[in-house]
Amino acid sequence: MEESTSQPCILEILETLGEHSIQEIIESYNGFCAATQSLLDGAGNLSAGPEFLSHVHSLCKHALQPLLRDHFLRSLEESFEKISVRRFWTYFDVYSKVAVLEKNKTPINDDEVQIVLCKALEEISLEKQYQEKCLYMLVHALQSYKENLLEGEHNLDSESKYLFAKYQLMVSSVLMASLPLHFPEILHWYFKGRLEELSAIMDGELEDKNELQDKDDMDLDEKGKSRAGEMDVDECYNHGQYLEKNKLVKHIGKTVRDLRSLGFTSMTENAYASAIFSLLKAKVHNLAGDDYRSSVLESIKGWIQVVPLQFLNALLAYLGDSVSYDSSSAGIKSPLASRPSLGYHGVDIPSEGLIRWQLRLEYFAYETLQDLRIAKLFEIIVDYPESSPAIEDLKQCLEYTGQHSKLVESFISALKYRLLTAGASTNDILHQYVSTIKALRTIDPTGVFLEAVGEPIREYLRGRKDTIKCIVTMLTDGTGGNPNGSGNTGDSLLEELNRDEESQENVGIDDDINIDDKQAWINAMRWEPDPVEADPLKGSRSRRKVDILGMVVSIIGSKDQLVNEYRVMLAEKLLNKSDYDIDSEIRTLELLKIHFGESSMQRCEIMLNDLIDSKRTNTNIKATAKKLSQTGADLEENGASLDILNATIISSNFWPPMQDEALIVPGSVDKLLSDYAKRFNVIKTPRKLLWKKNLGTVKLELQFDDRAVQFSVAPVHAAIIVQFQDQTSWTSKNLAAAIGVPVDVLNRRINFWISKGILAESVRSDSNDHIYTLVEGMVDSSKTGGNSGSCEELLVGDEEGERSVASVEDQIRNEMTIYEKFIMGMLTNFGNMALDRIHNTLKMFCVADPPYDKSLQQLQSFLCGLVSEEKLELRDGMYFLKK
Amino acid sequence: MATVNGYQGNTPVAAPAGTAASKQPVNAAKIVDTQSVLKRLQSELMALMMSGDSGISAFPEEDNIFCWKGTIQGSKDTVFEGTEYKLSLSFPNDYPFKPPKVKFETGCFHPNVDVYGNICLDILQDKWSSAYDVRTILISIQSLLGEPNISSPLNSQAAQLWSNQEEYRKMVEKLYKPGSA
Repeated sequence: MEESTSQPCILEILETLGEHSIQEIIESYNGFCAATQSLLDGAGNLSAGPEFLSHVHSLCKHALQPLLRDHFLRSLEESFEKISVRRFWTYFDVYSKVAVLEKNKTPINDDEVQIVLCKALEEISLEKQYQEKCLYMLVHALQSYKENLLEGEHNLDSESKYLFAKYQLMVSSVLMASLPLHFPEILHWYFKGRLEELSAIMDGELEDKNELQDKDDMDLDEKGKSRAGEMDVDECYNHGQYLEKNKLVKHIGKTVRDLRSLGFTSMTENAYASAIFSLLKAKVHNLAGDDYRSSVLESIKGWIQVVPLQFLNALLAYLGDSVSYDSSSAGIKSPLASRPSLGYHGVDIPSEGLIRWQLRLEYFAYETLQDLRIAKLFEIIVDYPESSPAIEDLKQCLEYTGQHSKLVESFISALKYRLLTAGASTNDILHQYVSTIKALRTIDPTGVFLEAVGEPIREYLRGRKDTIKCIVTMLTDGTGGNPNGSGNTGDSLLEELNRDEESQENVGIDDDINIDDKQAWINAMRWEPDPVEADPLKGSRSRRKVDILGMVVSIIGSKDQLVNEYRVMLAEKLLNKSDYDIDSEIRTLELLKIHFGESSMQRCEIMLNDLIDSKRTNTNIKATAKKLSQTGADLEENGASLDILNATIISSNFWPPMQDEALIVPGSVDKLLSDYAKRFNVIKTPRKLLWKKNLGTVKLELQFDDRAVQFSVAPVHAAIIVQFQDQTSWTSKNLAAAIGVPVDVLNRRINFWISKGILAESVRSDSNDHIYTLVEGMVDSSKTGGNSGSCEELLVGDEEGERSVASVEDQIRNEMTIYEKFIMGMLTNFGNMALDRIHNTLKMFCVADPPYDKSLQQLQSFLCGLVSEEKLELRDGMYFLKK
Repeated sequence: MATVNGYQGNTPVAAPAGTAASKQPVNAAKIVDTQSVLKRLQSELMALMMSGDSGISAFPEEDNIFCWKGTIQGSKDTVFEGTEYKLSLSFPNDYPFKPPKVKFETGCFHPNVDVYGNICLDILQDKWSSAYDVRTILISIQSLLGEPNISSPLNSQAAQLWSNQEEYRKMVEKLYKPGSA
């Protein structure tokens, strides 16, 4: 051993020595080694002290201090490594397997960890203290020798510093070198456990305090309480709890200090930082959860203030006492510890460190909440009006973190996955779209992100056939167009129309060119650049007004289409009215006029005026009829007077094309109709009435022997059933001839009566000819269910496709055939044409009824259709006739 | 059994009978005239497009409804079968009281068509009537191709050759330059 420790410099010294001296040195050295050994093994017994001292002195005489130091440190290291460290780690061996196997759970009893860790730390600290004492003895021995020689004392100070630093380095490196993998994990659990304990104490405090505060309003739930609790923690300390908490913090502080003195500074910091963060995360998740109806941001902030910051405050303050102690270990701080974000340097100035921690924690909380909310944004928007607090939270988080693009990406993918699929109804998509607009408008008033998010939805909706119809229904129906979701009245577009009235006025003011200079200056001062994510192609924000109606209309592309669809729906609605009450329609029309302009709604206005006129004319005609009957006219012969007839007189030029079906109405009714028409002619010469006999509603009552049933049906149904008044059984051919409709139409329509159990169908040998028979009596009561009541009014839900007005698609198809002829004509004469030239030419020359009003896109898709029908060819952007 | 209780909401159409008449002021200005010419040409275009006659077609040029391009295909079983001729039609401001000027744009070897494409057809000159329209003009020209008026030829060579249909066909094929509108 002696040989190995001999170093070249010492060898030189040895050479200068005589035999005797060498002998003396060897003896002293052996004595020194033995004394060292006994000191270190002595476990608190410093009896070897004097002997040690004398040996040191004798060796120093020969200037062998380096040798002494090295040997002593080495021995320290060996004993530390062999005994203390091994023992220290064996404490934690129990957990090593558990840690590897079940990392994600917390399989370890917190208290146990705490006890074990404390015990281990205490022991190793004692050991260390003892060794430091030994080291101090060495220093002392060296010092006393030097003092004997009357040398300066300055070196000695540095000597001791050097030795302690070396020792510290040795301790931490030994520990680090033998560090088991699971130790950081254990530290993490420990801090987590402590923090949870602390947090529980704090929560208890808060609740106590709030119970005092909220005695009046006991119905507040826990969350409400903790929110109301806010901060002002200082006030709410209960003395006992204060002590308990202080004890806990002190305890933790001691552990942290012990760990630090062992050189685990950065590991400790990491451990409690990660514990705090995971606790904070759990808290955020716990508070935020799946409840979007309340804002959680404030309570999270409050919690940060109360639990982790209090803890850190206490911890930092406690450690602040031992700063001087720590400064010796400053040299071995890991580079991680000096990371500004760790805020460790704030130990000396706790407030600064605390502020750093607070900022860090708050950012983390914002980010966690933001991620949580963004992940659930789809659901949040689904129940939008109720979930606005969550939206508000998200807005604040995003303002802080600025990660809007994350939102856009995640939301778009959620949309694509969950909404824009074939399974979702157009109504739902539209509702979600409107909610999205509203929600994102809150988050980002500039509409930049809305633009990005809305585009995929618009794109998708454009591909759906019933989009326009749904939009119009949403616009006109108070119920938002969703028959099941009558609860959704809140986000009906009609309401939006209302709101727009006001905003439109504001826009008018905004766009006024004559703003005075002052206002212009204010506007200029208020200017802010667009967010960086803005698409420069989309124009500046001033043009990008977030206007829900505008965004909905932009799905369709042109308002004309929407207006046209509205016209068809309005016509349908008006034609099915049995009274002349059109107040709500007038209101809707007025609102639409504000938005779409007077001229585009002109036809609709005429339609409504027709209704008003009809009402007047109707009354007028009846009045004259009454006058006549009083003067002894012969109206009573059929028992049918004009009183039972209400006519809707329309100016067919302004209405959408009507379904025209021939129908022979019963003679009495026919006479009534012509009588009515005659009177109309008298009043409104030279106008004449042309009846659309297949349209309208007939209210009738069927009287059987034992009951009477009321119906409200289409004229064709009425015409069918009237035929059974005199003859209870008809073949389909004869019946069809009698009412003047084709057999297949009859077969379709008569199903209504069969389903009601009024008629029965039987097939003859000639399978094309059915026999319909009137069902008398109550045999059918099972079929009609609860219809046995004598008086029942049923409004006939017409079968699909049975509408009074030609649908918009049919109209478009019709119009397009005209355009096809025009396109063929121009291509014959001009050879080839580009899309926009065809478009312009159609616009210019196709002015007949209906005028060409399609968008370029519509034309393009139509031309595409013609190309696929092999009527046209498309080469280099030019269309040719296919020869 | 069944009693009609009420017959409601049946939908008649008020037909405006004879209203539009006598609306125009007596001293119709020139502008009003232009308007009515425009209307007339537009409705003729509509009628032509919807008529679907085979082998004839015409369409106004890009921005001027007074200048049309026309296309006539040679009728079947004539020497002009398989050929296609471009025409230009330009309408006067007082159309339809004056006939439009019609010219062949594609060279046409025909007794009644000169080398500049001018056409000798009675209804385009003295026999014009406002009852004619673009469609009838085009049909007339199409039939003129198969039945030329040899007695007053613009192209005497063609008139002489007409009797020999085989040679004439060869000549037509030789001189025919499609697409040279």
